[in-house]
Amino acid sequence: MSRIILAALTGAAIFMSTVPALAEWKSYVSKDLGVSFMAPGEVKASIGTFRGDVAGPRQTIVFRATEDNIEYRVTVLSFRQAQAHGAILLGEREFMFRQRNTVLSDTFSNVGTGKDTIYGRKTVIDLAMNKGRSTGAFYFTNGKLYTFEATVLPAHGNLTSPDPGRFVDSVKFTGAAPGAIELRAPKVE
Amino acid sequence: MRFSGSVLLTAAVLAATTAPAQAAWRGYISHPLGFAFAAPGELKVEKGTYSGPVAGTHASLIYRFLDDNIEYKVMVVDVNAQANQSANLLGEAEFQFQNQKKLLVDTIDRFDRQYGRKLTIDLPNNGGRTTAAFYFVDGRIVSLQATVLPANGDYDSPEMGRFVDSITFSPEHAPDDATELPAPPK
Repeated sequence: MSRIILAALTGAAIFMSTVPALAEWKSYVSKDLGVSFMAPGEVKASIGTFRGDVAGPRQTIVFRATEDNIEYRVTVLSFRQAQAHGAILLGEREFMFRQRNTVLSDTFSNVGTGKDTIYGRKTVIDLAMNKGRSTGAFYFTNGKLYTFEATVLPAHGNLTSPDPGRFVDSVKFTGAAPGAIELRAPKVE
Repeated sequence: MRFSGSVLLTAAVLAATTAPAQAAWRGYISHPLGFAFAAPGELKVEKGTYSGPVAGTHASLIYRFLDDNIEYKVMVVDVNAQANQSANLLGEAEFQFQNQKKLLVDTIDRFDRQYGRKLTIDLPNNGGRTTAAFYFVDGRIVSLQATVLPANGDYDSPEMGRFVDSITFSPEHAPDDATELPAPPK
């Protein structure tokens, strides 16, 4: 009996040592950009580019993390001179996200309550050519267009993973969890 | 043969005269407000009130038509003082429209370099079905809403889509014979 138990414990230990350890979810805040969110793994900042028919060419600030074959990305574009066009810019971004992909769901996604509510959209798409499943949440507030995307890559194996939803639902535009890691936004030209 | 033909002709004439005549669709345009649309029936202009937690309370301008127990409404809310919150104001209007109602359709709408949303809801207590479109243009929330009332009963009527799809924000797309809408109150 004790040999059986020992064998079982040994097997479990071997199994645990071969399964990759999943990174802990941490809170992040960018005071420069007025946003906080949660993500697993290490978040790195970079400059990117974006182009839309209405938005034109713009530099973007991107915060990115990859964990367990899920890519998490926060993209922020500044439109300080075009805030009155925020509704159109937001609509264009949502449209571009879903274009030529299979839309699985498209719902309201509101952050905050009452007069401080930020109204956005949450969309889930299957990427073309079986490249995975992406959940996107989109908001325009304080002159900035925010996109939160979590893409489950085919290597992950579970397109219905709850982690993308956990990521996009963690977004806040006021306040941050205590102990949140501060992210410095790179300077765009 | 001649007798049966005349019976058929008489029956057809009777059917045509007893069926309610539907009004012709006409084009309307407002140059100050920057849009045009088409609707059937007689135009009525009303003032209303629009409110939301983000928007606050504002006067609204409503162009209303009624034909064959379908109500057509264009609502315009001037929120220019808060135009920098356009995305939130539009989102709030869309959200409030469908909040706590049975949502049947919710889709992005894109044309004339405008991005808005088209939604269809069933009204509570079998009050009918409404298809609406929402846009934010030049500091205003613009919403077209067509409601098939229970007295009509054809909740799949294409007239709802015909109305909301008739909107254009480019005057060059308006028909030449469009009627200028009464000027909005100052």
